[in-house]
Amino acid sequence: MSKIISIGISEYRVAFAPAVLVTYGLGSCVGIALYDPDARAGGLAHTLLPAPVREVEMVEKTAKFTCWAVELMVEELVKCGCAPGRLVAKLAGGATMFEPQYRSTHGGIGERNVAAARAALERSGIPLVAEDTGGDYGRSLEFSTATGIIMVRALQQPIRQI
Amino acid sequence: MHQAGNGRGGDSRMKFDALTEEHLDALREVSNIGVAHAATALSQLIGRSISLSVPKVLLTDIARVPEVFGGAEKLVVGIYLQMLGDARGNILIVLPRESALKLLARLLPREKSEGALLTELEISALKEVGNILASAYLNALGTLMGKTLIPSVPVLSFDMAGAVIDYVLIELGEVGDLALMVETDFFGEEERINGQFFLLPDPESLKIILNAIGVKL
Repeated sequence: MSKIISIGISEYRVAFAPAVLVTYGLGSCVGIALYDPDARAGGLAHTLLPAPVREVEMVEKTAKFTCWAVELMVEELVKCGCAPGRLVAKLAGGATMFEPQYRSTHGGIGERNVAAARAALERSGIPLVAEDTGGDYGRSLEFSTATGIIMVRALQQPIRQI
Repeated sequence: MHQAGNGRGGDSRMKFDALTEEHLDALREVSNIGVAHAATALSQLIGRSISLSVPKVLLTDIARVPEVFGGAEKLVVGIYLQMLGDARGNILIVLPRESALKLLARLLPREKSEGALLTELEISALKEVGNILASAYLNALGTLMGKTLIPSVPVLSFDMAGAVIDYVLIELGEVGDLALMVETDFFGEEERINGQFFLLPDPESLKIILNAIGVKL
């Protein structure tokens, strides 16, 4: 039985094979997975917001913010012996759950989360190898650190592997 | 990790972790009155008596909010409205799937939709339920405060609870790591129709509400 590690909103965890990193019910939040296939280790974050709205210096660097989650996980993975150059990334989530009536206030938060994640990966030089983002439905993720494969489950959708 | 807000210096925001028992009691009390009106409105709409629990005021870490809704993967109908007017915030009415279907059976002529998804008509009926509950609640709360509170047009999502609620946490997440929720369970007496009514005031609006009802800050 592999160990299952559950990740809540604005949290991240890193683990070695055969642990399975899971996060449930991603809506406009985005799930960012990093994987080192040689070390068979990975990290998964469940981020809420693209970036802080106020001055960055006053905000604690947490995985609540998409812009920092990648950096935090890379640090942790490197501490665990992963090589930054081997890391690959996958993204899931970033949906628009409600009709876009409130776009003025929440301005397509799902899309902005995905964009922030892509930008953060680019900054860290980590290739994005797969993604399942957008749409108007929630997703649950099971990320196997043994294989690097993520199972994406959603209501009314076939199970996908990325 | 319990840092409510990074706001510093003469902020109009009420820090959620600065709330005392007295504040929470006052919120519970005003909410009780609001929810009583909402329950009456719903009873009239469906022609069945609806009861409600005494509201709970919860101060929860954002990461733990899905647990309050019965787990991130529970299938729910979420009806979301904004509280507008003199105070702002979010209202989320969460109905477990089975309860939403029972409610619909009482509201609409019986032509069961095929499949698990809701039809346009069903969505529209549930939004109206949300509108009636929120209007009754805000009207009572506003009267008590001597302020005007009105709900926005409702929107609906039928999905995993975690996915439905993360949207509501966006604004709260921008100012802190805590969510203040006023939760009331309502349930039908003859058949099991239950649901939860959540009010998530903005930190600024929390101050306005507490001030208006005469609680010392």
